[in-house]
Amino acid sequence: MTTDSAKATFDLTVRSHVYDTAMRKCMPPTITETASALNCSPDEVMSSFQRLADAHILVLQKGSGEILMANPFSAVPTAFLVKPGERTYYGNCIWDAMGIPAMLKEDASIQTSCACCGTAMSLEIRRNTLVEAPGIVHFAVPAARWWDNVVFT
Amino acid sequence: MLLFWSEEHVEKWCRDWNLARGEIIPLEKCWRLAESWYSPDRREPDWRKSTIAEAEALFAEIGFTSQFWRLSPS
Repeated sequence: MTTDSAKATFDLTVRSHVYDTAMRKCMPPTITETASALNCSPDEVMSSFQRLADAHILVLQKGSGEILMANPFSAVPTAFLVKPGERTYYGNCIWDAMGIPAMLKEDASIQTSCACCGTAMSLEIRRNTLVEAPGIVHFAVPAARWWDNVVFT
Repeated sequence: MLLFWSEEHVEKWCRDWNLARGEIIPLEKCWRLAESWYSPDRREPDWRKSTIAEAEALFAEIGFTSQFWRLSPS
């Protein structure tokens, strides 16, 4: 795969596979899983993941190059559990947790806690509407600096 | 972006972690942001990230108009 056009086409396929897997299996795929599914080498997948990360579409784990975030999905457990029915997804933050039922176009409950006191909090998305509930959202970092350290926003 | 019971809990959290207070938004606005941001199907080949102008337009539509939400250089 040498031309920019071929890489761009491959990246579209990889992105589609990542999101299709995350939506169906509750978690983004690994490098090995992606290479196997797309019948290509792990090196090609790693390079594609990196290009998608450079474009702020994925966030990768340092060292391994595996996916950490395919927003709104987290590849690791977080404090934002999203449950459409019996399945469990993990969101990266409360915005992403709400983004999971929006992306799936399904009803879901979000189970998390107050970041200050740790008291359990639950939200419900029903028929594309947020059921009224107590709570507020705090954005700690101005929008222009979100990608300085996307793990802390 | 974290969830809190109340503004008082945000204030305490900021003090405890020695962080400046950012922006507090109601849950309903966060849902509108999430719904607009994540509804487009990222599996589709024609999906693309929003441009800075498109993202700022969305923020403004929801009512996020302060400097905090600016993405373009001032």
